Amino acid sequence: MNMLTCFKRRLGEVGCYVYVSILAVFAAFPLLWLFLCSVKESGDLLANPTSMIPQKFTLANYYNVMVNLNLGINIKNSLMVSLATTLIATVISSLAAYGIVRFFPKLGNMMSKLLIMTYMFPAIVLVIPYAVVMGKLGLTNTRLGLVLVYLSFNVPYAVWLLVGFFKTVPIGIEEAARIDGAGRLQTFIRVVLPLVAPGLVSTAIYMFINAWNEFLYALILTSSSSITTLSIKLHTMQGADVLNWGDMMAACMVVVVPSVVFFSFIQKYIAGGMTEGAVK
Amino acid sequence: MKYKEKKDYGRWLWVLPAIALVICLFVYPLGSQVFYSFTNKTLIKSTYGIKGLSNYTAILADPSFWLALWTSVKWTVLSLLFQMLIGFSAALALNSIKNKVARQVYRILLIIPWAFPTIAIAIIWKWLLNGIYGFIPTLMVQMGFAKQLPQFLSTPEMVMPTLVMVNVWFGFPLIMVNVLAALQTVSQDQYEAAQIDGARKWHMFWYITLPHIKNVIGLLVVLRTIWVFNSFDIIYMITGGGPANVSTTLPIYIYNLGWVNKFVGRSSAAAVILLIILLTICAAYFCVLNKWEKEADS
Repeated sequence: MNMLTCFKRRLGEVGCYVYVSILAVFAAFPLLWLFLCSVKESGDLLANPTSMIPQKFTLANYYNVMVNLNLGINIKNSLMVSLATTLIATVISSLAAYGIVRFFPKLGNMMSKLLIMTYMFPAIVLVIPYAVVMGKLGLTNTRLGLVLVYLSFNVPYAVWLLVGFFKTVPIGIEEAARIDGAGRLQTFIRVVLPLVAPGLVSTAIYMFINAWNEFLYALILTSSSSITTLSIKLHTMQGADVLNWGDMMAACMVVVVPSVVFFSFIQKYIAGGMTEGAVK
Repeated sequence: MKYKEKKDYGRWLWVLPAIALVICLFVYPLGSQVFYSFTNKTLIKSTYGIKGLSNYTAILADPSFWLALWTSVKWTVLSLLFQMLIGFSAALALNSIKNKVARQVYRILLIIPWAFPTIAIAIIWKWLLNGIYGFIPTLMVQMGFAKQLPQFLSTPEMVMPTLVMVNVWFGFPLIMVNVLAALQTVSQDQYEAAQIDGARKWHMFWYITLPHIKNVIGLLVVLRTIWVFNSFDIIYMITGGGPANVSTTLPIYIYNLGWVNKFVGRSSAAAVILLIILLTICAAYFCVLNKWEKEADS
């Protein structure tokens, strides 16, 4: 309730600055600590649990995870799975979202509500049937199997987001294109998609991050370390006999940094009015 | 463009892939899950028979099911409450920072937890809270808050509050970003008009801001409730449901039954019960949201 008092008493910006600063430390400190620990030597890590500055800056942990633990393979797997998921899901969901907005004036609302219901489906409810089906199809422990399963949580949410973006496209522009003789698909690709490009790209990046971060399905559907994703590799590293925290921190940085960087790019777009002023 | 709905079959092509996907990835698995819940299927033997409601009666008679349900309720209510409080207040605070650069910087800093993969959340918090080398326990001892290193993840009374704290850390940015986006759609004219009429800031917040973003908040609560209730990763990776099952929520209970103990039939029954609970919550929320929408329309 900090903010309400802030509002009430007109402490104004100073109070707000103090409040968001405290929150920023809470939010960002784990990432800072992760980085600092990833460049400390193992001895330093255990001897000085609260010192902020590394005694000696070292990249040995990174070298170790990349060379000795073969993290490169898992980076490649995560990238392949996430990119394939994003591509397929973007095509399916942008078609569906546009169709819902333009061609289903009555049914559309119900359709998008149904889709968002599926997004709320607990992964834990689906995971055993997926494992059984993938076993029958011979897709257990394959990247293709993971991609298929990842569509299940990416497509519904992407449709939900994209419906919002497509609604902002003024129908006047499309009418103009149709009068000029463009077909539906042409209008969609040439006129509508460019207008929602920021929304589309940020949705795609969001899907990529979700696939990159996924854990439960990968845990159950993949087992061999040459197929599995970064998340699972890190999970198995935790189970090692001797837990090397320096290695863990370096490996964590590898999985966290792409997510955080991409995220800071899209966060502007996720929350903006994108096509204001398109018809003028 | 007057849209003629009846005769146009081509429009179905647009949504066909998505519908096919939903059928393959939701309807079919859900159907098989419901079917398994009436059988004694296991992951070890390939043959199984239909056993009626026996899985359901077994689950409902299992005290650890009720314990897991209660843990789930605590986990959801506490996480959601603090996520909403912090997320909402952070959005209001950010929104009243006038300096654009400062606002962007804070926004990015505050959004960081949302981008964290759950495996990294688990590892970094386990490290920060580690009972021997952890930053937070050591700092607490050094600053005199504790006599000996607090064991956040192995003391039964401390485990759930600690996990909730981690979940609040992870979840508040999503609330913040969504509320912030909603706040920015409130037109400035209304505030100016209210200011000319001499309205107090508090009144402006209560009569202009809040009604405007009510629907967004409602939807956020629905989505987050379900999301948090279903969440599996964070608890599984940090404590695995322990120590002594104090952090075993319903999803972890289902996972243990089905995947660790291989009782697919029984775990399916628990999953169906979980779904029924969620659907009930959902239906209740959507009733409220629809009512709000109708009020706004009229």
